[in-house]
This record gives sequence, structure tokens and C-alpha cells, in this order.
Amino acid sequence: MSATERQFGDVLLKVDNITLRFGGVKAITDVSFEIREKQIFAIIGPNGAGKTSMLNVINGFYHPQEGTITYKGNPRQQMKPHEAAETGIARTFQNVALFRGMSTLDNVMTGRLLKMSGPALRYYHQKLANLPVINYLTYPAMWFGDLILDSLYWGPYQREEVKHRKAAEEVIDFLEIQSIRRTPVGRLPYGLQKRVELGRALAMEPDLLLLDEPMAGMNLEEKEDMCRFIIDLNHEFGTTMALIEHDMGVVMDISDQVVVLNYGRKIADGTPNEVQADQDVIDAYLGVAHEADLEEK
Amino acid sequence: MAADTFPKFLDSNAQSRGNRPAIREKQLGIWQTYSWKESRDEVVTIAHGLAASGVSRGHRIAIVGDNRPYLYWSMIAAQALGAIPVPVYQDSGAQELAYVLDHAGVSFAVVEDQEQVDKLLEIKETASSLTSIVYCDPRGMRDYDQDFLQSISEVKRAGEAHKAANPGFYGEEVSTGSGEDTAIFLYTSGTTGNPKGVVLTFDNLISMSEMSVKLENIRHDEDTLAYLPMAWVGDNLFSIGQSYVAGFTVNCPESQETVLADLQEIGPTYFFAPPRIFENILTSVTVRMQDASRPKRWLFDYFMEHARNVGVRILQKESVGLGARFKYWLGEILVYGPLKNTLGLTRVRRVYTAGEAIGPDIFDFYRSIGLNMKQLYGQTEASVFVTMQPDNEVYADTVGKACPGVELRVDPNTREVLYRSDGVFKEYHKNAEATRETKTDDGWVHTGDAGFIDSNGHLKIIDRAKDVGVLNNNSMFAPKYLENKLKFFPFIQEAVTFGAGRDFTTAMISIDIEAVGGWAERHNASYASYRELAAKPAVYEEIRKNIEQVNADLADDPELAGAQIARFVLLHKELDADDGELTRTRKVRRRFINDRYESVINGLYDGSDKVHIEVETIFEDGRKGVSAADIAIMDVTATSAAQLKKAS
Repeated sequence: MSATERQFGDVLLKVDNITLRFGGVKAITDVSFEIREKQIFAIIGPNGAGKTSMLNVINGFYHPQEGTITYKGNPRQQMKPHEAAETGIARTFQNVALFRGMSTLDNVMTGRLLKMSGPALRYYHQKLANLPVINYLTYPAMWFGDLILDSLYWGPYQREEVKHRKAAEEVIDFLEIQSIRRTPVGRLPYGLQKRVELGRALAMEPDLLLLDEPMAGMNLEEKEDMCRFIIDLNHEFGTTMALIEHDMGVVMDISDQVVVLNYGRKIADGTPNEVQADQDVIDAYLGVAHEADLEEK
Repeated sequence: MAADTFPKFLDSNAQSRGNRPAIREKQLGIWQTYSWKESRDEVVTIAHGLAASGVSRGHRIAIVGDNRPYLYWSMIAAQALGAIPVPVYQDSGAQELAYVLDHAGVSFAVVEDQEQVDKLLEIKETASSLTSIVYCDPRGMRDYDQDFLQSISEVKRAGEAHKAANPGFYGEEVSTGSGEDTAIFLYTSGTTGNPKGVVLTFDNLISMSEMSVKLENIRHDEDTLAYLPMAWVGDNLFSIGQSYVAGFTVNCPESQETVLADLQEIGPTYFFAPPRIFENILTSVTVRMQDASRPKRWLFDYFMEHARNVGVRILQKESVGLGARFKYWLGEILVYGPLKNTLGLTRVRRVYTAGEAIGPDIFDFYRSIGLNMKQLYGQTEASVFVTMQPDNEVYADTVGKACPGVELRVDPNTREVLYRSDGVFKEYHKNAEATRETKTDDGWVHTGDAGFIDSNGHLKIIDRAKDVGVLNNNSMFAPKYLENKLKFFPFIQEAVTFGAGRDFTTAMISIDIEAVGGWAERHNASYASYRELAAKPAVYEEIRKNIEQVNADLADDPELAGAQIARFVLLHKELDADDGELTRTRKVRRRFINDRYESVINGLYDGSDKVHIEVETIFEDGRKGVSAADIAIMDVTATSAAQLKKAS
């Protein structure tokens, strides 16, 4: 697939001159880039280059000291992770972070939690939220009422559950994990756990999906599967993705746009072909301890 | 007029039981049900759609994919138009697929998903006759713009338009069809050479379906799980033939991987599986019981012991004491019932197995917990049924009596089994020579299997006819029969027997490292490798006991008493498909083994008690190495008929 043929939408996320410091250590220095809608965007770089820090900045976990992030046209400097989630940013983690005792289905369903509010709470949001006096009392009452009625699996509450279950099942179908629907994820092999984690992120129906090393620790077959899911996701649903990955072969094959970080600075930004030809990038990889990665190409 | 094709059966089912479920499919985690009426509507629309795309009488339509309602409907729609469906194994490689498509002259293909489309696109250049491909699952198909590709919904849209323009078309096409028409081509995977296309008519399939429905009292409220390949004759008979004749419900699992979970949800009343599947289920039960808590394990062992003692007798309605009956009833509540529920076999009224020999332990396990498991013997060429075990006449080592309407005989010279019935195939497609070799002018079919009819009137299959030989003492030598008997012992992984044209029978055995290793652990016998374990005298001793048991079994049978095993050797390595010793389906490759282990075979016959062996092995990464060893040979005593008499 060549990047030039593909059509992308507007800028979804714009990172402007971001600098992130931990005490005296500069993790990210003055980095800027743009992620467009429907792009598969990759952030690469040697160990300690600041890739994961960058993801953490994007989803609001770290707060940069300088610079702004413009997401869906709204500039911001700080954001809490749950706000990021509510505005449609989902992510997976470098080390799988699932509820190990819960089944695959339940884990995927947790991805729907933000979209679940009982009918009572929805009514509150629409009609009552502007009544300041009773606000304090009604919100918990509505919330508690939803909880009780939800547990009775009744009428509109049942329909709500069915709706979300259907969305979760679509994700399960897409990722072909039907056979482990009821299996506690703690018992699954690593590659499948990664897939379940992707499933949970997908259940959020994200506008921007952040993948932190989606293929780390996988065997070749699992990597191929994961690549196919990423490409299918992008083609079928137009999901915008930003991923960090060490496997250069994978990155160059599936990404539309690549940003290279080294010691917290951006040293290159472009299509996979442009980046591969960039002398700074070659130096960064050959000069440090990552010869093997480049040789793969 | 009685229906004589499947589309006609569909019409009559849609009328007589229109709202009853015909087929179910699990989609997005939920079972979707289609009634007979809905099924017929789908078939009519698809048939119109196919006709609009140019399918007509005599065309061949390949069907490739897992068991899906749309694929079944497409088959019936093709038959309604007088076209011939050619189901192909969904996991066959491109080359095999290309051969079948080309040989059958397929012009149209209905496939499940992108995976199959890719495979067909790859071979489309060579399979020149293929002009059009229809896919059912649109996922991943967005970027395919070839004009000979269309989705099933496009076909249905075209079908709606065609139907509006030609309202009487479907009815006319269906009534044109008759029982003598070719219903289907089924390609059988031969062990040698290219697959052969078995041509079956509607009369073949329907006569055998009606016979079996009547014989086994199959009702319209049965539920079955369609999980075996659509290209296999059994699926055609169970999921289409019997279902359309009796009007019962077929359930399509969500995916190949979820079959066991789906089985539990559906709880079929009627279940068929090859022995391998029953073996796997039993193994998983055993493993899970080993991990269970001590009281549960005790309860399980206690009641399973009781079931072994009386379960089969209770199932066969023989007289059993009141106390034992009560205990069995208690066991049903505490162990057997819950176990059957976990396996999804609570509602099952009939369980069938066929295809290869089933271990007596496995067979008895299922029967002892109250499942009416029976064996049958069949072939694609017979439209499945040749013999079946009647209720209450069930044995682990026979395949039953000839089905009603099936004539059976054994050639006295070659011992080959022959049969004749209404189900006998018309011919092999474009292979008159093979047809002549297999089917005589008066309709008898050579099975290629050697066997005999025992004192109960049951057929016993012993081996492939061409593998059966004679010992110098004129005793029949059936290697696979002996090897199966040996392999039913947990310690024996693989066995190869020799004896044709020799004075006595010998066996070359590779042990099961897990079973023997576990045994060694319990007996404090230390070992560092497979080779060391296999060379232990104590292990030899255990295997010798197993073989003596086989010999005692054989002594019982006058035909085989002379073929008792006299000497054996335990190999220093496992027989392995990577080394070419077994096929990928774990069948012994005799000629190859004869060459490779010549020194061992010589040692077995020249009386020496030790033999040196050197063989080349291939590692998984393709590297080669030589493995050499000195291995011991051990004698086994035979059981004489006199001893047998004394014992009884």
C-alpha cells in the first residue's frame, strides 16, 4: 500500500512544541507533529527515546510543562485520562493491563462502561443537570436508582445491556476471539491477551486509538494476525491509530506516517520511505545499539 | 407425489412445518433461527439470483467454507436449478482445490469469506472454467473490485428482481428435477493419487436418508450440530438428507474453535463424531478430574468404577440387581448427569461413531454413563450406510449388521467386503476405469477393506484389503488390526507389525513418553531421555504384558489365532511424520518403514536379542542428524487354544 494513494481526513490531533520534564530530566523536548484522521501513525525510536512518554502525554496521563495539544480542534495543555477517554481516545498498554480474573467478554464489556449510563442518569443529564439546588441530591439518587434497576435486568435497562453486549460481540467477532469468550483472561496466552486488550479499546469505539507496542513479545504468526487486525480496522472502520512499535518491518509495512524520536527530540517525520532514507535516522539507529533492527530492513 | 429431490422436500417442509426451526447459526454470540419457511424463501431468492447470473441445468457449483446456512441454501438452490453442487474441503490447499475445480468443470463458486476468495483468485488463472465467485461474508472484501466477484446480498438482490420478472420460474425448475438426476459430486481424498469425484443421485441420498430415519426412529424434533466438513458425505446425509426427510433442526457452530462450547449450548439429541473427537473429550475430562479437589475426585472415581461394572448392562436393559441400580441412579444424579451436561450430551439419544477403530475403553466409558453410542460403517460410494449396530447389540470391535436394503458379502479369497444397495453411487466423474474397478456390472461395490462376519452376524473390519497378508502357517495377518489393538494400551504410542510371508508375527513399538514417563515417576525409575526410558527392562516387561493380553485376545479368534505376536522391540525414538514414518494423519507408511528399519526387522527374525540401528532424523528446523542405538529384542509367549479353554 503506498501512502500517496491513500486519502486522509482533517487533522485530528496536533502536538505543538511539547516539552516534558521529570525534575531535571527532559523526556521530550520541543516535539511537534500532526495526526490526520484515518491515518496509521507510528512513533519509533531507540529505547528511552520518549515514545511511551509521548503516548502518555497524548492521553493525558503526563502533563507537559510546555506546548499545547489540539485534539478535535480544541487546544489544551492538560487533561485527565478519563477526560481523554470520554472524548474518544482509547489505548492499549505495553504490558497487558487487563482484569485477569474476568472473562474475555467481561473485559471487552468494560470498554463500554463510558457509554453506559442508565436511562435515569441520561434523563438527568438532559433535563435536570441545570437545576443547581437539587443537583447534589439528584445525581447520586439517579445513579443509585440506575444501579438497582440495572441489576434487575428490566425493560429499558435490559435493552441497554443488550445494546452494549451486541457492540462487544461485534468486537469479539472482528478479532476472532469467540472461542475464548468465557475464558478468564489470566489463563490465556500472551498473544491472545494482547488481542483482548485491543478488543477492550475497540469497544470504546475510539476516534483515536493509541497502541503501545501492540506486537511486543509475540511470535511471527501472532504478529501477522495483529497486523491484519490493525489494517482491517483502519480500512473497514477508518479508525485513526497512533502506535509505538519496535519491529521495524511491521512499522514500515503498515504505517502511513512515521515520526522518529531520539533522546526526546524529533529527528524525522514523513512517510516510511522518506524516514528510511533519512541520514539522522540511520545514524540514530546505527550509532546506538540497534543495528539488528535496521538490518531487518 | 412423494418428493424425490431435496428442493421438493424443502417445499413440502415449508408447507407442513413452515414455522418449525430448520437451521440455526450462532452469530455475534446469539443463536439465530431460520424456520423452514424462511429457509425456503432464502433458497428461492438465491436460486433466482444464481439463474440471473447464468447458472443453469448441468452447471457445477463449488461450495467452499465452514458449515453455514448460506452455503447449505446455495447447495439446495443449485439443485433446484438442476445444477450440481461440488462441496470442497475448506482447508484444502490451492493445488488440491484447483484439481477438483478443474476436474469437476466448476463454473461458479459460492464461498464463505475472504480467505476462500483469495485461494480461488490464486487458482482462477489455471482453473479456466471458473467464471464467477460469490462470497457470503463481506468482511475484508472492500478492496476487491474484480467484476466476477459478487456478495451473496448482491446475488439476492438480483434474485428479487429476477423473481419479480419470472414468478413461476422456481416452481418449474424444481418440478423438472427428478430422483435420477445427479445431486452432488463428492471428492474423496484417496491415500494415493488424485481425489476421485463420486457422483451421487438424489435417489441414492434420499433412499439412504429414508432408510436410516426409519431404522433409527429419527423424529422431526431432533437437534444436530453440523460441524463436520460439508464436503464429507456424512454431513450431506445428516445435515441435508436426514434433516430434509425427517424435518429436524441443524445447528451451525460459531466457528471451528467453538464447537465444544456450542455443543453444550445446543445439547443435540443426535450426535456423530469420529473416534478421535470422543478420545479428545475423554482426555480433557480425565485431565480436569486430575486437577479437581480430592472429594470430587473420589466421588468421580467411585461412581465411574460402578458405571464400568453395571452401566453398560443397564443401558442394554439386562438384569441388574436393585442395589446396583439404586447406586447407578445416585451416580446419575451426582456424577454422570452433571458430566453429560458439561459435555452437552444430556439430551442426546443416539451417538454414532465411525471412520476408524475406537478403543474399547473409550467406547465403554461413554456407554457406561448411559449414552447410546453405536458404531456404523460406511463409504462415500454407499451414500454413507453399509452397516450399523442395532440397539442392544453393540460391541467395541464390530461395525454392526447390514442396514435394511443393503446386501453384504465377503470375498472368500481376498477377504474384501462388498456391498450392494440403493445408495450405491452412479459413477466416478470422468473416471470410467476406476468406476469399473470399484463397481461390478451387477452393482456390487468393492470397499477395499478386508473383514469378516463374526458369529453374531456382525461385520468386523480388520484392515485395508491390500495390506492383509498371510503368515507361513496360513494364518491371516492383518497389520492394522493388530496395531490398533496394541495402540489401545496407554503405554503404546505407535506400533508397526510384520508377518506377511514370515513364520511368525513381530512388532516394533514406540512408547508413549507421557504415559510411560508418568508410570516411571510413580515407580521411582529415573530417566533422562526417551531413549533411556524405552531401553529400561521394566518398561519392556510392562509392554510384554500388554502384548500377551493382545495375544490372548487373538487366540479367541480362530481366523487370527496364528498371528499372535512372538517378538517385539521398543524403538529408541518416536515414529514421526517429520521423518516420513507416518503420514500427517498419523497412518503408518509401511514401505518406507520396511526400508528404514531393515536391520531391526532382520533382528526380529534372526533370533538375536539385540540389534544395532542407525537412522537419519530430521529436526523441526530442517537440520538432519543421525540417531544410533543398540536396542533389545524381547520374546513374548503366545496363548494356545488349550490354555484358553482351561482359563474359561
